Amino acid sequence: MGKGNTLALGRMTAKGKFFVGVVLIVGAVGYLMYTGIRETSSYYLTIEEFFVHKEAMANEGIRVAGRVQKGSIDWNPKDLNLNFTMVAFKEKEGAKGKTPTPIAAPQQSEHDEQLEGLAIHYQGILPDMFAEDRDVIVEGEYITGANGNVLEATAVLTTCPSKYEAEIEGQETAAAGY
Amino acid sequence: MTHLGSLSLYLALVITAYAIFTSLWGVLRRQEAWIASATQGVYAVWGCVVVASIALLHALLTEDFNVEYVAGYSSSTLPIQYKFAAFWGGQKGSLLFWTLILVCFTAIVHFQNRDKNRELMPYVTATLMTISFFFLGMLCFITPPFERLAFTPAEGSDLNPLLQNYWMTIHPPALYLGFISAAIPFAFAIAALATGKLGDVWIRTTRRWALTSWFFLSMGNLLGARWAYEVLGWGGYWAWDPVENAAIMPWFTATAYLHSVMIQEKKNMLKVWNMVLVILTFALTIFGTFLTRSGVISSVHSFTQSGLGPYFMAFLLLTLIVSLGLLFYRLPDLKSENELDSIVSRESAFLLNNLVLIGLAFATFWGTIFPILSEWVRGIKITVGPPFFNQVNGPLGVLLLFLTGVGPIIAWRRASLKSLRRNFIVPLSCGLLAGVLFFVFGYRDYYAVTVFSLAGFVLGTIFSEFYRGTRARQAMLHETPPQAFSKLVGKNPRRYGGYVVHIGVVLICIGVAGSSFFKIEKQITVEKGQTFEVGRYSLEYTGITDTGDDHYTAQIARINVFVDGEQIDTVFPEKRFYIKQEQPTTEVSIRPTLLEDLYVVLGSYDVPSGLATFQVFVNPLLSWIWIGGIVLIFGTCITMAPNPAERYELALARSSQMIDGESVAD
Repeated sequence: MGKGNTLALGRMTAKGKFFVGVVLIVGAVGYLMYTGIRETSSYYLTIEEFFVHKEAMANEGIRVAGRVQKGSIDWNPKDLNLNFTMVAFKEKEGAKGKTPTPIAAPQQSEHDEQLEGLAIHYQGILPDMFAEDRDVIVEGEYITGANGNVLEATAVLTTCPSKYEAEIEGQETAAAGY
Repeated sequence: MTHLGSLSLYLALVITAYAIFTSLWGVLRRQEAWIASATQGVYAVWGCVVVASIALLHALLTEDFNVEYVAGYSSSTLPIQYKFAAFWGGQKGSLLFWTLILVCFTAIVHFQNRDKNRELMPYVTATLMTISFFFLGMLCFITPPFERLAFTPAEGSDLNPLLQNYWMTIHPPALYLGFISAAIPFAFAIAALATGKLGDVWIRTTRRWALTSWFFLSMGNLLGARWAYEVLGWGGYWAWDPVENAAIMPWFTATAYLHSVMIQEKKNMLKVWNMVLVILTFALTIFGTFLTRSGVISSVHSFTQSGLGPYFMAFLLLTLIVSLGLLFYRLPDLKSENELDSIVSRESAFLLNNLVLIGLAFATFWGTIFPILSEWVRGIKITVGPPFFNQVNGPLGVLLLFLTGVGPIIAWRRASLKSLRRNFIVPLSCGLLAGVLFFVFGYRDYYAVTVFSLAGFVLGTIFSEFYRGTRARQAMLHETPPQAFSKLVGKNPRRYGGYVVHIGVVLICIGVAGSSFFKIEKQITVEKGQTFEVGRYSLEYTGITDTGDDHYTAQIARINVFVDGEQIDTVFPEKRFYIKQEQPTTEVSIRPTLLEDLYVVLGSYDVPSGLATFQVFVNPLLSWIWIGGIVLIFGTCITMAPNPAERYELALARSSQMIDGESVAD
């Protein structure tokens, strides 16, 4: 702290000085939060939303939630390379609460690419619950290029919204009162 | 049994309504009989909820799979301790468990105050019974735990394998105890606001409850971290997941409160602020419950979306409106009786500590709800991940650590330059020494070295406090050093226990800094007999064994650990497959030492090729987090020790409040 500064503070009341301290801390918190959000935030989309905003997502850090397409998993245990295709959630009959995000996706089901799905590449250990037809969240960067578009994943998270909520297959509706 | 269980829940709901009504009626009409009847109601509610809980446990232990909850969370092969844990393993059971703890605390508080705080108690009864009413309402109408199925499944679908771990059996109860005991200081705060008895009595009466709440919140978070570290298998213990954030936010505000009450007690300042902190802490516990149960924010470990969300939101809003409304109404009576004398004083260090803690809580809150906010504002969900929290909370934590060192040794009111020099010279040297030592031993990162130096500084302040106190007693009272030391702590357990808690916190900071900045991570696929290097370790993979029982099957890898060509240990990372849940889980093998943990995960095992993939972490200093936790427990126990000075002060505060009351009545 400079000498002039100390002198100016010296003339202030304790309350005034304390106020300066408060402003400094609040300012620091605000600044840290502002830069933190600017530098580390990423879009969080369902796969349906992703296809709507696809163009804007090129080479951006994103998180996409979707379902692993049946038969699309290509896993090489030797070099830990994983390729799979992510597709839209299909609401199962009667199985409520299956989507990890409660927000309804825009009605774009006629979209061509959506039927194709989104190609994902990941290098690393498979999460325990990773399997066909499971709901996953993929974090990474969406790379667009001549060799096709792929989401280079830095993390694959398996979400199982029903993790703590037991499933009694197909019999939920049969639950009766007392 | 289940009929009895649900019946007693309905009965409890009716009695809570009765107790709310009679306690308020009694206090308005000044009729003791009504208030006494409300207190009887409290005990009756306790009895009912205990019966309901026994009924659910009975169903779990007798494997009554006709009960939906039992079929969903238990199975015939589930080990008995996890059958108990299934009580709080699912949504419905955990709500009942929550209610059980709440009514137990309510009963205890009524028993403790059976002939004390007569003015405050009716409002305490009404507040606590309102909270119970809400939870019982949920249990009776929204998530009835005793619901039966139309048929009886032959077998239950088992408890989630991730929950079949001893840390997980004690982590939720610890956290619940912390969350729920926050309701007691809250109820007294509401009573103080309602009666206008705004002196120190409510604060001193609830000091132990606030400490209890803080203690269990700390335990809940630490045990949760421990569970994540051992079970989830990603090499870390904290990920700033919304559920974790929900648990840490009340801890921040509760910590702030424990510090700022000292200023109110000493200087009669910050009355409004303390009220706000108590209300905020309670509101955050409800908010946390809302977050984990509503499905509003997707988290890796939350309960499913259920119909509970809107009710919790409504209850939260009601809580905030009523309590802040009361606070606003009493604002003129809550004027500070003193002002800050100097910026260089303990008061201001405490105030800054409060601000930083609130900053931490706010930043965490903001980051947690950011996806919702961004969706409202921009129509698109934007999340912030762990980097955001580390980037914001990291520096704030460092600042807090610094203040932890300053607070205890800076004088009240106004510190002179001379006293500053005298008090700070030893701690500052300790800090410098710690920084240099860590640097020399290879921990080279400016951020981490800052933390280590500050840790040294804080430890220096604490030890010099103990040292000077002991020396003073020795000199003045001619006691032997051990005598002087034990009497020093015994005479003021609150202060010296607090210092011990600080030591625990410092050790935790060292563990966090060490394991965050110097972690080594390696992923590798190897054949049987192959050796690979991680850090200073050479690991030799010697094969896989298949084992298992009717509950799960397992593949256990065997790895010999070598350092400098010498075998020091063998570790057995494991992959399990839980049969009923059809779910594989990872059983990590951890080799902890004071210096570093070797953490080995069996990532996958490919049967045809015989290739095994391992993920290995070396986490320096991580054990100190758990050691710090144990120190923290020890310190908190000291602060709760009976304290004659405190009892005297409470009596004083009570009599002065009575005199105030009389003068108002005149």
